[in-house]
Amino acid sequence: MQKFLKLLALLGLVASLTTGCAVNRATGSVDPSANLSALKTMYVKKIADDDNTYTLIADKLRSKGVTVTSGSEAAPGNVDAVVTYIDKWMWDITMYMLELTITIRDPKTDFPLATGNSFHTSLTRLSPKEMVNEVVDNIYKGAK
Amino acid sequence: MTTTLARTTPLLAIAALALTLGGCASPADRTAMTPQNLTISKHYPHSLRVQTSGGAETGAMDSSNVSDPDLKAAIEDAVIQSKLFKTIVQGSNGDYELSVRLSSLSKPLFGATFTVDMETAWTLTKTSDHSVALRKSVKSSGTATMGDAFAGVTRLRMALEAATRNNIEQGLKAVAELNL
Repeated sequence: MQKFLKLLALLGLVASLTTGCAVNRATGSVDPSANLSALKTMYVKKIADDDNTYTLIADKLRSKGVTVTSGSEAAPGNVDAVVTYIDKWMWDITMYMLELTITIRDPKTDFPLATGNSFHTSLTRLSPKEMVNEVVDNIYKGAK
Repeated sequence: MTTTLARTTPLLAIAALALTLGGCASPADRTAMTPQNLTISKHYPHSLRVQTSGGAETGAMDSSNVSDPDLKAAIEDAVIQSKLFKTIVQGSNGDYELSVRLSSLSKPLFGATFTVDMETAWTLTKTSDHSVALRKSVKSSGTATMGDAFAGVTRLRMALEAATRNNIEQGLKAVAELNL
């Protein structure tokens, strides 16, 4: 009976602290007013505590023919777009990237011109490079 | 056989209870996403068409999401309640077209207090000449605590609805600052 109550309490705690089951998803959307092929220069804004994701994003965008610079300072005024991102990491035996959202923005207004998101839980985890590739490819798939 | 049954019955009961408490998520509710008592002094004598994109349905194994039809309905309800525009129209014959694209949604996975961050892209276009009256990024957040709901999935949905309400309110207030 005591075991049963312990298990019950544990399950109650899990049910109260977690937000639901997990799935995989990959999406991309582009604003109808945006023309991604016209964006030739971009600045990837590095977030604090990021070691490598920003370089992976920059490299992937270069493969799309974009001239890319990056850094943690404010974007220079002469770029066509600023790229921001949010990466979420999770631990399951090893650390892995759970979710990545990349947004391409108008440098003057901060307006999100295009966004991509990938979410992969542990069993279908992807490497950070694969996550970046999936998100950027999904963004360009939706472009004019 | 009887012993096995006696052992498994409590486990099945616990599993059923856990599913009831935690279960899988329900989508954000359109009524809960509509800002209540939104006071806007400006009332445009125009008709408006609302379009939404970037949302997602809530799958059986997913966490709560905002669907495009629900976001559209919540915005339309808020416009009607605040009387910001004279009428809402469906189809392509409105004086103005409001396009709201859900650009990013950051949801927590685990915790006691849940905060959801949301960003939407609002574009208001005059239908007659396709001129853009508003192009704005709207960022909002919503929080729900253990006091709001015990079950995590419910708490997340409430935080999501609060973030959406806040977002719609900010967006409509930005539209109200224009001179159309």
